[in-house]
This record gives sequence, C-alpha cells and structure tokens, in this order.
Amino acid sequence: MGKLDGKVACITGGTRSIGRAMAEAFVAEGGKVVVNGRSEEKGATCLAEMDAGDNAAFYAGDASKQDAVEGLIDFTIETYGQLDVCCLNSGGVNMTAPVAQMSDEEWNLEIDWNLNQVFWGMRRALQHMIPRESGRVLVTSSVEGKLGKPGIPGYAATKHAVNGLVKAAAHEVGTMGITVNSILPGLIETDIVRDTGEDSAIAMGLEGYDALIEMFSQESAIKRPNTVEEVAAVAVFLASDSAKNITGTMFPVDGGTMPY
Amino acid sequence: MGALDGRVACITGGTRGIGRATAEAFVREGAKVVINGRSPEKGEQALAEMNAGDAVHFIAGDVKSREGCEAIVNGCVDHFGKIDILFANAGGASNHAPVADLTDEAMQDSLVWNFWHTFWTMQTALKHMIPQESGRIITMSSVEGKVGKPGVSIYVAAKHAINGITKSAAQEVGTLGITVNSVCPGAIETDIMLAEGPPAAEAMGMTYDELINWFTSESAIKRLNEVEDVAEVCVLLASDAGAGITGSMISIDGGSSPY
Repeated sequence: MGKLDGKVACITGGTRSIGRAMAEAFVAEGGKVVVNGRSEEKGATCLAEMDAGDNAAFYAGDASKQDAVEGLIDFTIETYGQLDVCCLNSGGVNMTAPVAQMSDEEWNLEIDWNLNQVFWGMRRALQHMIPRESGRVLVTSSVEGKLGKPGIPGYAATKHAVNGLVKAAAHEVGTMGITVNSILPGLIETDIVRDTGEDSAIAMGLEGYDALIEMFSQESAIKRPNTVEEVAAVAVFLASDSAKNITGTMFPVDGGTMPY
Repeated sequence: MGALDGRVACITGGTRGIGRATAEAFVREGAKVVINGRSPEKGEQALAEMNAGDAVHFIAGDVKSREGCEAIVNGCVDHFGKIDILFANAGGASNHAPVADLTDEAMQDSLVWNFWHTFWTMQTALKHMIPQESGRIITMSSVEGKVGKPGVSIYVAAKHAINGITKSAAQEVGTLGITVNSVCPGAIETDIMLAEGPPAAEAMGMTYDELINWFTSESAIKRLNEVEDVAEVCVLLASDAGAGITGSMISIDGGSSPY
C-alpha cells in the first residue's frame, strides 16, 4: 500500500531537480503524476527515465505564463480524471541583480514565475478541489521565504509572498479537506542553481559559484546543501493522508538555516 | 522495509497520548522502542495493548529529576544496546495562573517537567549519539512554543525554552549525523489535556469547552489535532529522509501558528 495510492498530482517544473524527485517519489508511492516543463525534449527524457508507463505524463508549458499553469491543471484532470495534489514548484531567477540595478523586466518575470504561477495554479486547483472536498496544494518556497539575502530581492520577495498566500488560502479551505502548505528548502544544487548561481554569487558580492555553495552550506547546521530527495520525502508526507491536519505551515528542509 | 528498521528509540512518557502513538508508529516502521511512565501499571497495560513482543520495553521512571532522565535513556541503551532516536515527549503543566498571580512552585514544576527533562534526556542521549555519529532527537514543544496564550505562561515559557535548546543543540551537532528538531502540536485531547485542561480553562476565565473552542477556532481546520498527526511527523524526522531537517520547529497545528 503506497502512501499515495490512487492519487493524481501535477508538478510545475517537474522534469528535473526538486520537481522530478517529487514526481518519482509520488509514483513510487502509488500515485500518478503530470510533470511540466518548457522543453518537450526534457519532458520526453524525463518520462523515459521515469519509466512509469501510464502513471506519468508530460505537459509542455512555461510556468511563468498563466495559460500554461492553468493548462497543466486542466490537462491533468483531462488525462487522469482528477487532481489530488497540486505542486507549484517551478521558480527561480533569470538575471540576478540588487534592487538598485534590478530591471522592470527581471522583476516582472520573477513575480510571474515565482508568485503569480502559484496564484494561478492554486486558484485553478482549488476550483477543482473545493467541490470534491479534498486536495493538497504544495508550494515550493525557500529559506529565502523567511530570510533575505542581498542580491536576490525578487526571489526573496516572491518566496515571502507565496508563504503569505499559503497561510491565507489554508485558512480559507481548512474545513474542506484541503491542506495548503509550503516547503522551504535550503540550498539545493539544482539545474537552476547551477545555471544562475555564478551570476547570483557575483550579485551577492561573492567570488563565484563555489563561494555561493560554501556560504549557504556554512549557514546551515549540517554544512552541506540539502538534497532533492529530502524535499521529495516531505512532499510525499504532506500529500498523504497522514498530513490531513497539517496546513498553513512553512515546512523547513534547510539543515537548520532558518531561525524560525 | 520500514523507515526505521534496526533503529532503537527512547520515548519519555510513552504509555499514552502522543508518546504512545509515536511508539506504535516507530514499531510499525521497524524500530525497537523504550516507553516510559511513572506508573508500572500503565506501562504493563501499554505493553499489552501494543502487543509488540520484544520490540517494546517499558522503563518506569519520573522525568522530573536528572537521575530519573539518565536512568531512562541509559536504561534504553542497556536494554537494546544503543539509542538512535530520543523523543523527549513527557511534559505538562499544573496550577496555571496569570503571571500576576503565579507561584514559584507552579513555574518551577513546569520548567522541570518540560524543559529540564528535555535538557537532561537530550544531554544523556548525546553522550551516546555523538560517539556513534548518528542520532535523532525530537523535543516536544507546542503551538504554545511559538505563540503565547494568556493564563498558561508556565507552559508557554517552558515550550519556548525547549525550542531554544533545540535550535542551539542542532547547530552544535549538525555535522555529526545528528538532527535535533521540535514538534509543535496544536491542541490534542490527550489524557493530559483532559486532566489539566479544566483547571487551565478556569485560570483563563473560561470553561473547558470554551478553551477547546478557542484552540480549534484559531486553526484553519476548526478541529483538534490528533496524536497520529504528531507520530507521523516523528517518523519522518527520525528516518533517513529527515537527515536534512534540523533546528526546526515543526508546526502540527492545523494552521494555528503564524510561523
């Protein structure tokens, strides 16, 4: 008996890294999952590697766009007949800059990608889940949802914002069998971190990528990055029946980085 | 394959309530468990009900002294050969009053029962966990370790203090394969709640039902939490999958706490 037998999930940014680990963990626990990403090729690779047959599907789309986020949810319901777990996981930065140099374009992208994605997805998912009186919304936030490092103001602002949205929404649907939680990972060496880490480091006044990893690691008690599997394990738990009474929480997977 | 195969856990106050549910979940996941309580009769009853044979052992003892705490933790190591998981679960508070009317005895009793017990058991467990470079410590805080309701400051203070020592200890042992976290449950109708709830309500100027309503109305779920809610979080924290979670105060309160 898997913890998620018969459950259907969708995951924005699900072909690699944290989202992919969630997808694999969900399928291992008996769930079906639709993973989303921008690249058809990465989607095909993901499905091939997951080797989950009919238990996994791919929906192409840019999670910073409303029609893609809503389309993912609609596609999941069309494909599998229901949506039980909506993971709003995609996110990141494109061109890091401190506030004084931040462009409107980068700010708006980060708002769309990290915050509006969550609103669009949450709204669409809840419209499905509320009549069914059951569901799970999981938002991948970050330690930057509580802390605030220099050089990544859009990321910090939007990760704080999604925590607020999670808390508010949780209280709206708390008696409807729906829980809404965020997960706050510490640093994880995802593709996005590898791609943008050098720029983020420099924006933070560090020498480069390795210095970034070292700085984040030193801030934790465990002195290492977290792993995608550690986040996925929390996602499985929050998605399961065991967590039916856990909602409105900002669940840490950060090796002791955040003080609260 | 259970998540806790081969592990040994020690749970103070594990014969009933949250500790008992956690003991059952740990056994389900393959662990051996020491449960503790002051009453040998309740211990025997718990063992009989758990029906888990050699997987569970009861150690009678009172957590309100250093000697008592050391005996429980060291007794676990003596019986099962090691300790992998400590759940410093025992606790409670009596003789609630607003701060202006509070007695030293009431404050001291709560601090000893909750905070000093956590310190003594944590220290004793670390003596075993540090050389073995592995371990899991779970402390019992509360939603009241994050917020602070009027009338129950003896409990609030102790539960906040538990969160503090949890955070410090986590930073100290973070690279030694040991995690230290607290669980912060919302109101659960355990035996302790049924016993201490009415006098606490009175101290806060309300009936017991009003007290329960106050807790549940603050939550998003509008109902009490359950012992199993906490037990399942403890399984996660205690497992290998929880190796990256430390120094955290996990809210299990249906959305009551704002952080």
